[in-house]
Amino acid sequence: MLTLPFRRWVRFALLAALAVPAAASGAAQAPASPPSTPSKIEVTDEVGRRISVPVPVRRIVSLAPNLTETVYALGAQDRLVGVTDFCDYPPAARQKTSVGGAVSPSIEQIVALKPDLVLAQAITMNRRETVDALEHLGIAVYSANSRSVDGILDSTRHIAELVGASEQSAVLLKTLRARLDDLKLRLAGRPLRRVLFVVWTEPLVSIGRQTFIADALRLAGAESIVETEQDWPRLSLEEVVRLQPEFLVFASSHSESVRTTVEDLSERPGWRGLDAIRQRRIAAISDAINRPAPRLVDALEDLARRLHPEAFADKQVPR
Amino acid sequence: MKPLTPKRLAWICGSLSVVLLIVVVISLKVGAVPISVIDLVASLGRVAIGQSDQLPSEYSLIVFDIRLPRILLGILVGAALSVAGTGFQALLRNPLADPYVLGVSSGAALGAILSLIITSRASFAMPLAAFAGALATIAGVYFLGRRGGQIDTHTLLLAGIISASFLSAVIMFLMTTLSGGELRGIAFWLMGDLTSTRTPVGMGWLFTVLLIAIGAIYSTAADLNLLLSGEQEAMHLGVDVPRVKLVVYVSASLLTGLAVSVSGAIGYVGLLVPHVMRLLFGSDHRLLIPATAIGGAIAIVVADTLARTIVSPTELPVGAMTAMAGAPVFIYLLRRRLQ
Repeated sequence: MLTLPFRRWVRFALLAALAVPAAASGAAQAPASPPSTPSKIEVTDEVGRRISVPVPVRRIVSLAPNLTETVYALGAQDRLVGVTDFCDYPPAARQKTSVGGAVSPSIEQIVALKPDLVLAQAITMNRRETVDALEHLGIAVYSANSRSVDGILDSTRHIAELVGASEQSAVLLKTLRARLDDLKLRLAGRPLRRVLFVVWTEPLVSIGRQTFIADALRLAGAESIVETEQDWPRLSLEEVVRLQPEFLVFASSHSESVRTTVEDLSERPGWRGLDAIRQRRIAAISDAINRPAPRLVDALEDLARRLHPEAFADKQVPR
Repeated sequence: MKPLTPKRLAWICGSLSVVLLIVVVISLKVGAVPISVIDLVASLGRVAIGQSDQLPSEYSLIVFDIRLPRILLGILVGAALSVAGTGFQALLRNPLADPYVLGVSSGAALGAILSLIITSRASFAMPLAAFAGALATIAGVYFLGRRGGQIDTHTLLLAGIISASFLSAVIMFLMTTLSGGELRGIAFWLMGDLTSTRTPVGMGWLFTVLLIAIGAIYSTAADLNLLLSGEQEAMHLGVDVPRVKLVVYVSASLLTGLAVSVSGAIGYVGLLVPHVMRLLFGSDHRLLIPATAIGGAIAIVVADTLARTIVSPTELPVGAMTAMAGAPVFIYLLRRRLQ
């Protein structure tokens, strides 16, 4: 890293500016050969970049809340040295050093934390420019890009391999898969509930079919009434009234705030026309559904219980 | 107005350069990661005497590979936008002309975005498309802004503002309908962003082309002075008006297009800086153009330093800072002109 060409260029510029007559000897020196490099592994990340990650990874910076959760779920939080302002789960993550927001974190703050590995969430959280800038500085950035629940499990496994937590991930994934299988068994043969997943009410924003949330809905025995390739489509209320979803799904960290929102909506023209609002067929679930991390499975089970209570009538504990 | 002597020119440009140097050193010092003045001076000294490999790696990475490239890019972009603004103001005989206000930056941004969609980041396509967008916009605004064969100040400003909002609407349309992973981040970039991943070679190219364009505008400085009294009058005094207009329009569009393609649409620098420089040093373009170039560099470096530090460690788009400072000045100038 010390031998980046920029440095030499800067030196020339400074020499010219300060007119220090020491150019000839300094500029001709060849940069020292790099010290014996620690072992590295080459992997391809989820957006197709080849990256080279040192082994073992001792310092991790996470640039997205879901990746922070994943690192905690893998038990690698002791090596997590930097997070974003949005990383609020688990609460302990708030104590970590912040590198700023996900969209425009401070590159120099990240560099100052001397990470062996930076975790980024492609497309939905982090900008490609941020990843480019870090790569340019010789920092390994693994970009996750999960588009389905299976994809989330795969991302978790890949990250675990990079940070040397494969054993934890094997245990974690086994549990998660068992829970998903149990859910599948319970919901087998039951009709899918037609739902509107509400990301935002003003303007009304929902999810497209290629998002991991759409996939999570299917696993929870629901299907989104919105059929679009766009990830976060703005919808017209008219269209929603025409389609009449059976349930509205809200994701929030406070179920109380969902109640207030729904009371408010039921007073308004347009929303009043929705059967689901009039009959209060509302499923308020944890905002974990918005984060492609292992905790999503909790939210997904919760949603399935609300949409298909009869499937959970017996006392059998899902395991 | 004092007569322009080479001595006065050298004095003013020299003093402005000293201010720029001071601003650069301050900007190198401050940021999300604290670095003491002593460390900074020590590392600058080491680099100057050619011992850069003895630097503590973390400092040198932050100061020389993150802050310095960004400052250098800011200097180039600031100089480009300010000189472009000066050029437009002289040709249109309107102190309110600015690449951003006239819609030229939006045209360049639209060109850049179209090239992203079509070619997906081919390195030379984007600046060229931005240049083409800038040139097409200024041509359109120029023709819309004429009334009875003469440029009319208010019609021109309206034409510019309306073009800007039309082009922004087209950009919004493209972003909404085509928004894939490639286009994410454009919203941030549109507000102006100096995060640099350019190689020294890329910076060298940018520097060379910008220098040529600024030089081309400077070569018409004496003619621009005569143009201030009107096109007919300048023509009678022997100015080849069509040639001057062609050179300045093309060069100013090139400056705007390049600046937008590397850093997004940073507004109001081209308005604010020439105005301040005219207040300080008068309106002789032979002095005004170099003074605005250095002044624009100072303005952007200051704005970007604030953008980096105000809500640190998160960063603001630098365009938000320049708009906050520039928009009130625009209103002030407009009102004074109306009175």
